[in-house]
Amino acid sequence: MEQETNSYISFMLGDEYFAINVGKVLNILQLVQITKVPTAPDYMKGVINLRGTVLPIIDIRMKFGMEPIQYKRDTVILVLNVEIANEVVNAGILVDSVKEVFELQQDEILPPPGIGSKYKSKFIDGVRKMSDERFVMLLNIDTVFSTDELVMLQDSTETKEAQEAEKHE
Amino acid sequence: MDNFQKKFLEEASDLINQLEQALLTLEQDTQNPELVDSIFRIMHSLKGGGGMFGFDNISSYTHKLENMYDLVRQKKLKVTREMLDITFESADHITSMLNDDGTKSNEIKRNEEILNRRIDAILDGDNFSDTSFGPAESLEQTVSGVKSYYVKVKPYEHIQRNGTNPFFLIDELVGLGKHKVNIFYSNIPDFENFVLDDSYLWWEIILSTDKDEDAIKDVFIFVEDDCEIVIQRISESDIFEMPKVAPLLDCRQDFPFDLDKIKAICQEEAVKEKEKSEAENSENKAKVNSGDEHIKKFTKESSISGIRVASEKIDDLMNLVSELITTQAGLNLYAEKNKDAELTRITENLENISRQLRDTAFSITLIPIDYLVVRFRRLVRDLSREVGKEIEFEARGAETELDKTLIEGISEPLMHILRNSIDHGIESAAERMAAGKTPSGKIILQAYYSGSQVVIAVTDDGAGMDPKKIKRKAIEKGLIAADSQLSDKEAIDLIFMPGFSTSEKVTNISGRGVGMDVVKRKVSDIRGTVQVSSSLGEGTTITIKLPLTLSIIDGMLVRIADVDYIIPLSVIDTIFAVEHEKIVSAFQNVINIEGSQYPFYYLRDEFGLTDSAPAKEEIIMVKYEDRKIGIVVDNITGEYQAVLKPLGKLYRNQDIFSGASILGDGTVALVLDTHKVINQFTKYNEL
Amino acid sequence: MAKTILIVDDSESIREVVNFTLQNAGFEVFAAGNGIEAQKFLDGRTIDLVITDLHMPEMDGIGLIKYIRATAGYNRVPILFLTTESQLAKKIEAKDAGATGWIIKPFVPAKLLAAISKVIR
Repeated sequence: MEQETNSYISFMLGDEYFAINVGKVLNILQLVQITKVPTAPDYMKGVINLRGTVLPIIDIRMKFGMEPIQYKRDTVILVLNVEIANEVVNAGILVDSVKEVFELQQDEILPPPGIGSKYKSKFIDGVRKMSDERFVMLLNIDTVFSTDELVMLQDSTETKEAQEAEKHE
Repeated sequence: MDNFQKKFLEEASDLINQLEQALLTLEQDTQNPELVDSIFRIMHSLKGGGGMFGFDNISSYTHKLENMYDLVRQKKLKVTREMLDITFESADHITSMLNDDGTKSNEIKRNEEILNRRIDAILDGDNFSDTSFGPAESLEQTVSGVKSYYVKVKPYEHIQRNGTNPFFLIDELVGLGKHKVNIFYSNIPDFENFVLDDSYLWWEIILSTDKDEDAIKDVFIFVEDDCEIVIQRISESDIFEMPKVAPLLDCRQDFPFDLDKIKAICQEEAVKEKEKSEAENSENKAKVNSGDEHIKKFTKESSISGIRVASEKIDDLMNLVSELITTQAGLNLYAEKNKDAELTRITENLENISRQLRDTAFSITLIPIDYLVVRFRRLVRDLSREVGKEIEFEARGAETELDKTLIEGISEPLMHILRNSIDHGIESAAERMAAGKTPSGKIILQAYYSGSQVVIAVTDDGAGMDPKKIKRKAIEKGLIAADSQLSDKEAIDLIFMPGFSTSEKVTNISGRGVGMDVVKRKVSDIRGTVQVSSSLGEGTTITIKLPLTLSIIDGMLVRIADVDYIIPLSVIDTIFAVEHEKIVSAFQNVINIEGSQYPFYYLRDEFGLTDSAPAKEEIIMVKYEDRKIGIVVDNITGEYQAVLKPLGKLYRNQDIFSGASILGDGTVALVLDTHKVINQFTKYNEL
Repeated sequence: MAKTILIVDDSESIREVVNFTLQNAGFEVFAAGNGIEAQKFLDGRTIDLVITDLHMPEMDGIGLIKYIRATAGYNRVPILFLTTESQLAKKIEAKDAGATGWIIKPFVPAKLLAAISKVIR
């Protein structure tokens, strides 16, 4: 029986590993000067010149409610092909580093942890366990871009519980 | 989706456009063999392309239609109303297969079954007729763009030293098409002089391919310096289809092709072909009468698709022209600063040439509105049948040209407007006669230039709009206060408010809740305006005005903090230097300049910038309605001709910026829409 | 048996993209971060194709190309180098040093594969 295999490219935001389906990634760019567009939300870092077209750049860490990204040597821009409201849009996201490209069979994708765990499944297609016991979260980048507000990866009520639980450990 | 699929989708939608045009014309002139040929060719292309780019469903579906029109070509089938209807519906069906993302598959399958049954009925049925139709051209040769070449590949001896394998070159070359390869061993030296790693073989290849000459050159791109390459075009058609040449193509070891003789025979064949097709053409001309105008229109359609196919190259060209203008603007600034007479003279010359280049490049991307008129005709035809009204559609000024992006942007709004006219504007035949009008309604689309704008007006002679009814509806929907005093014109303008819909019953066609507010938004997205004027009982006219040159703005380059901005010269009145102190100490954002009071906006504040401002700033007085309002920036860099690039959908809410422009040093500058700036910040300040 | 390719580039992102593209196309891919690492890797091994960037710390691409050509057992291996449009002089230098062909940065996967198919089949 044929299995669907998909390739993902993984990257780090802070301490967490995320991955996006390689079909959505157009390009990986070194960091260049970003022109900030005033009056836009903070997580919209600005625009850059990509070979004559204007490409918006998002600080996806801020969109996830993390601290704003600090530019380091490994910081790169992932240029993505995103679908928002039936329109295809190109946008770049800033990531702390790109890790690797791996292949996943359909049956290797674990469902995103449900209630009681940290992450909201609308933005996470699934999860994969890596060789070192860590988890990589497979991002549904289209949904992430389709929300104008901050993406609450974590359910606010459950965050509190999770925090409480951690305290007691 | 990969690039090839995307390209096929573009080509396919073009083909569908051509198909509809041909069908509409064929309806009026069912005996026309050229139209039947074109339709056959379109089906053939869709079948072939579909199979190649992953649309097997389209490929298998068009197969039957191709057969059907082939039989018509061979005069074995007559064109009937049912055939035309099926083909129209097939055009839609293919379009939905092109757009299918998998969710509509069942519906599509069902649709296809019905269509296939109807096609089968025609193919098997009693529709066969022997009536002579007129000579049909044999198409196979004209469809393929196969050309034949002679290629000589003679690697230099040392070629293998950089890892090149000459056999791979030959392998790649022959992969381009049909071929005959002749290997030459003549250069192999005798044993004592034989160097193990050197290359002594060389080749002559006769190749026929539909790829262009660049593809052949591309095979040798790495070995230009290591190899003798000769590429000669020997025929404009497929040499392997010429029986006369066959014996000359036999390969004998170390015996070169007799190139002169081969070329001579190809010439002969070419002349023969030309004479044959000219004879056929003059026969055809005698038989085809007033189909001429339709055909003219039709071939114009094909020439538009020629622009379409090259559209990526046009985009590249436009990008390069933009960069040229940007660089030239930078050079201008430099020349001014350096006050070098000779340099200034040269730059002025350059500016002149750039302007002309820009205008020419622009005219290449201009497309006549006629391109859309096909779609509109189709819409009117289908829709008026559906609602049971008789409606005539006339397009005037369809040769008026618009920028490619504008054409794409205006298509949907115009379709909405037409739908509204057909659905709500034009009355039924009975109502019309009762009102003393002709039973069939008329919709006229007019396009013309006016100043620096293109005007497109859609007029119908329908029921017109009732200001009282509209006002009542607006009050019901809570859009205006019950006691508002409105002139008739103001009342009619209410249809542009979001949430408004004038129809009593929501019909299938325009009923998706799409109102004039959406039309207005889409038109203003391409920097146009829309107005309505209507006379109750007589009809309605919707007028759209679009700027001719969308992309290039003459502006003033300014700076605030570390970002560059561009303000269009057309809104700038005067510029004054002003002390920072004066700005911050101004009361309620009003400043006194040369004795007069002006309101102003301090963009540093509005943009929330916190770094320290320069001691001396600039205030730009811009025209706003009938007043002058000041916009404060850090400093002015100079005049700048900017090529406007969109910021993209993600920045849709930041509409104070009309777009961005790429400066000579590659950084991005933001183009300010001062009108929107003032509107937006006035709102905030009044809170 | 799958053909083996060595990619030499000091940028992890480039190594990743090349790795992913070529693995998907059925090649076995090895990566090195600079010329010295590449040399160590090639020692005693056979490889079917080398792709190298030109600007790298410690030993630049030209040096690596020369080294490979001078090494018995490797002197016929196809070598492609990565270059940007504007580096014409470098291109000539690299070809003179013995490179087989080049790939222009930035590249899309299709271009990478097209260049590779010219030199290994």
